Amino acid sequence: MITADKLRKEFKKTVKEPGLKGSIKSLFKPKTEKVTAVRDISFEVAEGEILGFIGPNGAGKSTVIKMLTGILTPTSGSCTINGKNPVKNRKSYVKEIGVVFGQRTQLWWDLPLRETYGVLKEIYEVPDDSYKKRMAFLNEVLELDDFISSPVRTLSLGQRMRADIAASLLHSPKVLFLDEPTIGLDVVVKDNIRRAIEHINSREKTTVILTTHDLADIEQLSKRIVMIDKGSKVFDGTIAALKAEYGQIRELSFETGTPNAVKTLDYTGHFKLGADDLSLEGEGKSVKVRFNSAAVPVSDMLSYTLGKISVSDISVKDADIEEIIRRLYEQGVDG
Amino acid sequence: MKRKLKIYLPFINAGIQEVATYRVNWIFYMLGNALACFVAYFIWAAVYRSGGGGTMSGFSMPQMVVYIVLMFLTGTIIASDGAYVVGEEIRDGAIAMRLIKPVSYNATFLFQELGNKLPTEIAIAVPMIAAVEIIRTVLGGAVQFNITCLLLYILSCVLAYLINFYFNICFGFIAFIIKYLWGANMMKNAVIGFLSGTVIPLSFLPGALEKVFLLLPFASLNYTPVMIYMGKYGGAELLYFLGLQAFWALFFFGLSKLLWRSSVKRLTVQGG
Repeated sequence: MITADKLRKEFKKTVKEPGLKGSIKSLFKPKTEKVTAVRDISFEVAEGEILGFIGPNGAGKSTVIKMLTGILTPTSGSCTINGKNPVKNRKSYVKEIGVVFGQRTQLWWDLPLRETYGVLKEIYEVPDDSYKKRMAFLNEVLELDDFISSPVRTLSLGQRMRADIAASLLHSPKVLFLDEPTIGLDVVVKDNIRRAIEHINSREKTTVILTTHDLADIEQLSKRIVMIDKGSKVFDGTIAALKAEYGQIRELSFETGTPNAVKTLDYTGHFKLGADDLSLEGEGKSVKVRFNSAAVPVSDMLSYTLGKISVSDISVKDADIEEIIRRLYEQGVDG
Repeated sequence: MKRKLKIYLPFINAGIQEVATYRVNWIFYMLGNALACFVAYFIWAAVYRSGGGGTMSGFSMPQMVVYIVLMFLTGTIIASDGAYVVGEEIRDGAIAMRLIKPVSYNATFLFQELGNKLPTEIAIAVPMIAAVEIIRTVLGGAVQFNITCLLLYILSCVLAYLINFYFNICFGFIAFIIKYLWGANMMKNAVIGFLSGTVIPLSFLPGALEKVFLLLPFASLNYTPVMIYMGKYGGAELLYFLGLQAFWALFFFGLSKLLWRSSVKRLTVQGG
């Protein structure tokens, strides 16, 4: 369905030296340097798969999506989606895909939402009867009814995102690209959107590529993730494989009344852990411990901690995606 | 063709609704233009008074008044802020949202702008033409309205608008290279104001210069339609100038396609 072969994107960036002198200098003789946003990334996605694309800010996720959607031309390498080249056959290609950029809208800012859909219907040549059915379906999944008559500029972020997703699905695309579709949304709306994506994927076998910073998006939606950092692919596989391979990181945080609590707690000695499996940071009363739950069960950690010091307000949670990436790097993994 | 119209007609509709949303902005825009028109009138009135009130380079004072009003009308009818809009979209990356739709980038702009302009055109053209005719009748002493001239004027305005639109689109693509267009736009407007005869009629210029300017695409923008309406062109001359307009329209249409193809590769999509 989707094949990316050694995708690479380089940008020229003007570098300005600091201060007024630098500004004047760059006015006459601008210095440019080459920035490689994406370095030879290759991957494949099967039909009906949901692929999660993760990585820290500036890792190159959006650039990859923009190349896959035909907005940017790769510096080298190629991608084929549904047998089409996004840049060469742009007009016929984009008819088969839906795109949502969480930070931009494809809706007409000044038009009521309903009319925006009317415009899209003509653009994508959706016949009247299937348009009606489609709208009814999208309405049910994304609950658009409350605001379908309001101009887009008056919508809240959550409403706008739902409207945007509906707009990208109006023409029943074969592939759906979602670039941070849950950015800035509250828990309820996030959940709504995830369920809608899941529903459409299972009902229509829509292939979905999604980028996000929210691990919950990935965990609920996709079986497979591709992780990139500094433009290179660092992991490609299932979430289970990721966890099995790099350890299940948990973060234990608590408030303690015991003075010198950090010194009293000797996790590495007690559990005989390597440096990779645990990190400890304490700031006054609050302490954070990140540990590999494959090496030490959570219950052992808790009982040891509670036995050593007096603790109030304790919590254990999954480490976020940045933490996993950080550990991936500390372990020197690549490819 | 019908299929195409069906795709792009909604953009006209979207354009009209945009104007309807920002009515006050529109009113101020029109007032600003009218003011500029009055300023031009008073300057020329002073010039003619000190010149003794005769005919200058083929223009009598009443004709000059008509010229000023027609220039104002034509300028409004053929106005295009394509360069600004394209430049902005490139600068803030909104262009990406047009690229993910199965439509021609230039055509969506053309139709959206037509939608923006249609209310303006209708609201201003009818009273302005009436005003011009009243001025001509009062100052000239007889009715001078000529329906052929009016129809040819409309045709010429359509061509002029297409030239202006595609020229502006081409100009906007410079933003792919320099990223922010505001300064370049100011310069372009100043140069065009002079070369298109908006500031002074081209016939006031020395003979050789006038000939060169008439060949340039900018004379085809404002000057040609106005001269046609005033009945200054006739016969072969008329056909020649309409043909020249058609040539420039096609030229910039082709150029915009070419530039689009080469510049879209340079797109970087700033921000997000």
